[in-house]
Amino acid sequence: MKRILLALTLAACSWLPVAQAEVQVEDAWVREAPPGARMLAAYLTVNNSGAEDLVLVEVQSPAFSHIMLHKSEVVDGVARMVHLDEIVIPAQGSVQLQPGGMHLMMPAPEARPSAGDRVPLVLIFADGNRLEVQADVRKKP
Amino acid sequence: MLKPEKTRFFLPLLAIIPALLGALLLTGCSAPEPPELRQATLLPVAKAVADFRLTDQAGRPFTLDNLKGRWTLAFFGYTHCPDVCPTSMAMLGQVQRNLAKDPSTGELPQVVFFSVDPERDTPELLASFVPYFHDSFIGVTGAADEILKLTRQLGIIYGKVEGSGSDDYLVDHSAAIILFDPEGRFRALFNIPHKPEYIVADLQAIKQYYEATR
Repeated sequence: MKRILLALTLAACSWLPVAQAEVQVEDAWVREAPPGARMLAAYLTVNNSGAEDLVLVEVQSPAFSHIMLHKSEVVDGVARMVHLDEIVIPAQGSVQLQPGGMHLMMPAPEARPSAGDRVPLVLIFADGNRLEVQADVRKKP
Repeated sequence: MLKPEKTRFFLPLLAIIPALLGALLLTGCSAPEPPELRQATLLPVAKAVADFRLTDQAGRPFTLDNLKGRWTLAFFGYTHCPDVCPTSMAMLGQVQRNLAKDPSTGELPQVVFFSVDPERDTPELLASFVPYFHDSFIGVTGAADEILKLTRQLGIIYGKVEGSGSDDYLVDHSAAIILFDPEGRFRALFNIPHKPEYIVADLQAIKQYYEATR
């Protein structure tokens, strides 16, 4: 599994242009899928030290068929998931994707990543810039 | 015969005794105050639940009788839920481990994951999903109308999200955790966001209050 992921990562790197210096991504992680679960979630924090707002429009990964930008929200005690077209990271600000809030959602692949694995995520911004990060697969609340 | 000085001492004492007894009786008979809780909402009166007929992850019947004889924490979700459900279930796993470490806990509560997506959540699927969070956890599914029979008594609501696909649909659902007392009655609920340390503390307080008011 790790070897496949490494190969995929290298393959992914080869088509990646240079990312913006003012964007930093911290604490990117994918929740290990419980057995039987068909959807996974990933979380990360995006810091924008630039003078302009950044707009995250898409996330791709060679490890997943597709990734959606989502937000869980609880309204009157009812949890619902909302699809997001984009996530704006304000200038000189940051946005946290975290359990129970904004997150990335993707179908679990056949070869399910398990705790300890790392998977690449490629963040694509509205201005065309891309940033690749490595997300740890973790089992945690 | 009592000497005058002894009588002077004894008579006021006689008068005080009934007052003291009365005070003691009043203290003993008045109900304890409901506990102060950090996260739970305690129902003023425990709500009896009508029977329902569901199935656990081993294919055995799961009915109201299964909620009797011990405390139960119940969560209502679905296995295809990637964020809120695994977060809540992992949090309940933490609750269970914290309770197991606390010597005052006594018997651990049972934790039950009730599926609100019976179309996809078969007992077999629950058998692999639920024990991942704690090996004592129970998964329950069944006929849609039997799930509704239980949930509508608890104020738990859920529904498929319109517009999502036929097999990859999402389900909106109440995020609260329900607490049943050992008589199978709806006793309290924990609203989101859930903190395991608050749930542990509130559960212990509610149990003590329950024992003191039986």
